[in-house]
Amino acid sequence: MKAAYLILCAALLAGCATQNAAPPGAQVAAERLQQTVVAGQTTKAQLLAAFGPTKSVRFDSGFEAWVYQSPVGAGQFAEFVVLIDPSGVVTKTRTRAP
Amino acid sequence: MSGLLMATAASLPAHAAGQNTVTVKSTRDPVDKSYRKMIRGMERFERERAFAPNASLRFQLLPRLPNVDMRGITLRVAGDTVSVPVPVDENNFFVLPRNPQALQEDAAVLASRKTASMTWRARIETPGVPAGMRRLGDLRLECRVGKEAGLVSNSSPLFGWISDALDSPEGVCTSPDGNYLFFAERPIFAVTLRAGERVETLPFSMLYAGGEQTPDMLPFCDCQVLLDRTYYVPLWDASWPDDTLVEFTYMVDAMIDMPAGVAP
Repeated sequence: MKAAYLILCAALLAGCATQNAAPPGAQVAAERLQQTVVAGQTTKAQLLAAFGPTKSVRFDSGFEAWVYQSPVGAGQFAEFVVLIDPSGVVTKTRTRAP
Repeated sequence: MSGLLMATAASLPAHAAGQNTVTVKSTRDPVDKSYRKMIRGMERFERERAFAPNASLRFQLLPRLPNVDMRGITLRVAGDTVSVPVPVDENNFFVLPRNPQALQEDAAVLASRKTASMTWRARIETPGVPAGMRRLGDLRLECRVGKEAGLVSNSSPLFGWISDALDSPEGVCTSPDGNYLFFAERPIFAVTLRAGERVETLPFSMLYAGGEQTPDMLPFCDCQVLLDRTYYVPLWDASWPDDTLVEFTYMVDAMIDMPAGVAP
C-alpha cells in the first residue's frame, strides 16, 4: 500500500512537471511538413531521414500513425498526423490546430 | 479480494485450516459478467435517460485476444438452477432479458468463448444519428451503464489498483482522467466533434488509448486487438452538449460497392 501511495505521488508530481511541456512528438515547422509529406508518395524511410523519429503507434494491421508538433507561438503546437500503410507509404495526413 | 482469500484458503491443507475437507466442483470464472451488475447497468440506463431520451440499450461482445473467432457466439444467463439463452445477433449485439430467478440466484452471464478472449460494452443509440457518427449523450450514458454493469475487462494489477480509486461510474465518466475507452466500427484516423458551428478534431492523445500502450502493456488493456479503433471523448466537458455528433475519419475509406465486372 505504501508503494502504491508513492507511485501515486510520483505520478501526480510528474503530471505537474509536464503540464506546460510540449505534447509528445518531434517538433517540425508546419511549412516543412506541408512541403515534404505527400500522401501516396512519401515513404516511412523518407520521413525518418527528414525529421528523425517521432511519437508513433504501430497496429496489428501493419498501419502506423505518426504525430509531429508544429510550433505556432505562445507555447502552442499544431498537430500533424501521418498514416503509413503496411507497405511503408504515407496514405493520409491531417493537421489539427491547437 | 474474497476470491483471492478463498483461493488461498483452498490451497491450505484441511488440517492447517482446522476445518473439514470440502470438495469444490467448479468455480465461477471471475471474468464472467455478473447478471446482477448488468441488470444494475440497465436500471441506470432507465434512470439517466435524460442523456439519450429516445435511445435503446444493447450490449456488445468484442474481441479481446488475437484470433478469437467472433462468429456464432452463444450466450446464456446461468444460475444455480436457471439457464436462460440470450440471442446474439450477427454483429454480437444482444439484449439482456430480465429474469427474477436468475437475479435471486446471482447468476452469471456466460458466453461460448473463454471470457478472457472477449470484452464487453454497452451500446446506446439514438435513432436518426447519421451513419458513421455517434451522439455524445449516447456515449455519456454508455460509460455510466458500462461501468455500472462491470463490462470493462482490463486485467493488469495496476489497472486493478487504479480501479479501486477511480472505478466508479462517476469517477470514470465525469473526470478528464476517467479514460473510458470506446471502439469505432473500423480503424480510425481522426475523430471530430460537431455541435452547431463548433467543430473540433480530438487530439492524437485521445486516439489509440492515448498512444501510450507499449507491447508489454497492451495485453492488459481490453483494447488489445482493437487499438486502431479505440478513442476517448470528452464525456466530462459540459461545453459539448449531449446532441454533439462524433464523426469518424477512417484509416481506409469505405469501399464503394460496384457492379460485377466494373472496375472501381
